[in-house]
Amino acid sequence: MISSRSVVEKKVKYTVFTIEECPVCGQKTKREFQPGDYVTKDGAKCTKCGNQTRISLIYAETAKPPK
Amino acid sequence: MSGIGVSLLQIGLDLNSIFYVVSLLVFVAYGLYAPRIQVWFALNEIGRGLTRLKVMKDKARKETIDYLTTTGKASGDPTERVDQFLDYITIMPVDIDPNGIVGKIDHVVTTRDERVRQEVGTIVGDKNPVTVSVSENLLEAATALNTIHKIVRHFYLLGKKTSSYFMLVQLQMLMPMIIQEADALVSAVDTFKLAQPLGDGIGAVIASRYMVGREKQTIAKDTVLAVNEYKGRKLYVVKAEGPMAYVGQPGVGIRHVIEEMGVKPSAIIMIDAALKLEGEKTGEIAEGVGAAIGGIGVEKYQIEEVAAKHKIPIYAVLVKQSILEAITAMRKEIAEASDKVMTLLNRVIEEKTKEGDDVLIAGIGNTLGVSQ
Repeated sequence: MISSRSVVEKKVKYTVFTIEECPVCGQKTKREFQPGDYVTKDGAKCTKCGNQTRISLIYAETAKPPK
Repeated sequence: MSGIGVSLLQIGLDLNSIFYVVSLLVFVAYGLYAPRIQVWFALNEIGRGLTRLKVMKDKARKETIDYLTTTGKASGDPTERVDQFLDYITIMPVDIDPNGIVGKIDHVVTTRDERVRQEVGTIVGDKNPVTVSVSENLLEAATALNTIHKIVRHFYLLGKKTSSYFMLVQLQMLMPMIIQEADALVSAVDTFKLAQPLGDGIGAVIASRYMVGREKQTIAKDTVLAVNEYKGRKLYVVKAEGPMAYVGQPGVGIRHVIEEMGVKPSAIIMIDAALKLEGEKTGEIAEGVGAAIGGIGVEKYQIEEVAAKHKIPIYAVLVKQSILEAITAMRKEIAEASDKVMTLLNRVIEEKTKEGDDVLIAGIGNTLGVSQ
């Protein structure tokens, strides 16, 4: 009997994270994505050197949000 | 021996003979009615798929209306306009005489894009360009799902009406791929609404790294240029204007840089997402030559034409991903490929050009959530 099978990937829950990077010391901070975030947007002050960080990446991964 | 067996023996038959006759009848009946049975199975399977497609297209339509009402703050109820737009048709130019067809396609597609933006502008106004661009993308996703559903339903009903075995079996075989594509589109809706970068935006992410902090100028519709330097080379970096959900007009932009600004690049390097083959890993990087750009073909044609005219080599850097990954939130594997792409890109610049040269870098793809 001719038949075909669905190849749709199983639904996996993704959490989207924002990476803030300090352009001076290179320190990276990972936090959950907030609406309004975009790559190159200014982030919080660097916890290591106090300079202005910048959002370098926004990505989704199958992980629990950081505590 | 049971009562039935005794009765059958009395009329000269035993159970084995009965089973033999019945199986013979089933075999003959299957031989005669096999296509009808197949049609029945095919109709069932397509019917189930069609129901899924209907759920998906209704979800996309509802999400679009909700977005226009809540985030877009539409002045009235946008339902009627959205429903009208779902059936909006783009008639492609005649291709009997293919001479000059790219220009005609460009004209039709540009008119369509302007019409979409105008329509969205009428509903949500032009207060926030990100909201307008996201609304455009949501409308396009809802329209695509509506079209997929209508086409599948057309062949399903036609096959049912004519009991066309071959039509139904072909559709049945295609259903998993159709559902996969529809599923990708409906998953994209949530990403669009949150304005998160898409997997397709990896080219834009790379370009933005060369553009950040530099002066930007608009060189084509929704397309910006910034100039930077790398090891004695002057880099002309082109990408769609973010963080809006734009793909821009890189073809027009590159032609503008070369023919109107008079830049003579030694190389054009294009970075884009590419559909992976089954078995390939997400985030794998491939290097090659040629215009790395998808779409209907207009931009690709424009880039190839200007590069061939001025004898400029085109190099491509591709990041592999599936269709679902390309139009949903950028996966970690794709994002993490960005550092490797930068290393590769810098190597290509160093190997293929020399100090004092101009290099044109184009980050291709939807730039939602990626500014510059």
